Amino acid sequence: MVATTTLTLLAVSPWLAQGLFQAPLLSPLLASLAGRVPGIFFGLPLVALASLIFAATHHEDPAAIRLATVHWTVWLGGMLGIVLAGVLLLGWLQ
Amino acid sequence: MARTADPQPSRIVAISPDDGSAIDLRSPALAAVLSWAVPGLGQFYQGRTTKGGLFMAAILTTFVVGLWLGGGKVVYASWKPGDARWAFVCQAGAGLVALPAVVQSSQLLGPLRQPFVLGGGLLPVGFMAPPLAPGQYVSRAYADRLARHVPGIKPDDFFDKPPLKQFRRDQLAQWHRQLGKFFEIGTLYTMLAGMLNLLVIYDAWAGPLGPSEEEKKRRVAEAAASAPSAPADPNP
Repeated sequence: MVATTTLTLLAVSPWLAQGLFQAPLLSPLLASLAGRVPGIFFGLPLVALASLIFAATHHEDPAAIRLATVHWTVWLGGMLGIVLAGVLLLGWLQ
Repeated sequence: MARTADPQPSRIVAISPDDGSAIDLRSPALAAVLSWAVPGLGQFYQGRTTKGGLFMAAILTTFVVGLWLGGGKVVYASWKPGDARWAFVCQAGAGLVALPAVVQSSQLLGPLRQPFVLGGGLLPVGFMAPPLAPGQYVSRAYADRLARHVPGIKPDDFFDKPPLKQFRRDQLAQWHRQLGKFFEIGTLYTMLAGMLNLLVIYDAWAGPLGPSEEEKKRRVAEAAASAPSAPADPNP
């Protein structure tokens, strides 16, 4: 089943990619995101991803992976939040 | 002469930190190479399908989202002075999805002076090809395709230098103007996908890393706290 799915995805990937890069609806979406969402929020999915991969490479059991993902997300998010707060404070003091 | 039975080949196993079970790593080197080529494929090879699917979905999705945010322009290989694309070193960690960039770069700088048309023409012109620098020579066919299909590039942007054409402008600066912050965000997403795949490759090669020392101490302390107290010695 994995091989079939992989081969199917590979076979349709040029059309998927064409849809992704040339879809008429996605460019306006991106333009509105650029205007409204501060760039820093684009980092949040990366924090989640890094936590997930880190947790999954430390554990084997799915339940343990889920728990560790939450643990690492809180840690990473907290550390980055502290750094952000420090930078904002320095900017406000200047 | 009787043949002796082949000795049982030794298995390379890792121990799961969660329940102590053995994880058959099969051929760790092959698993590591497969996990580089397609994130999670090495884990599938080892029969660890849940983790393999998780890694494949997470890393490939991040890479594709980064590529989309960057308009398909953030993954390219370039070592030109003024545009040494060090980000590609990290992006290459994602495996075969980043390999077309190397091929496109060598084609653009090679004798043909044009990258391949990828996806049978379905993908954007110059997909994963490095941006054209001012004064760079390209084939006439590629220059014509760029002028026809790429917004912002006109036929006047090329000097006619038979049998080639010379680009007059700076395509990288154009990309930055068009994409704004999404050029950097897309680069970051694709770089992170590549770098996190290094952890996946290690997992395929050596199994799970296991809990940290802090976690181990916490588990020992919890086990000690929940263990029943020893009975009093009847014969002191």
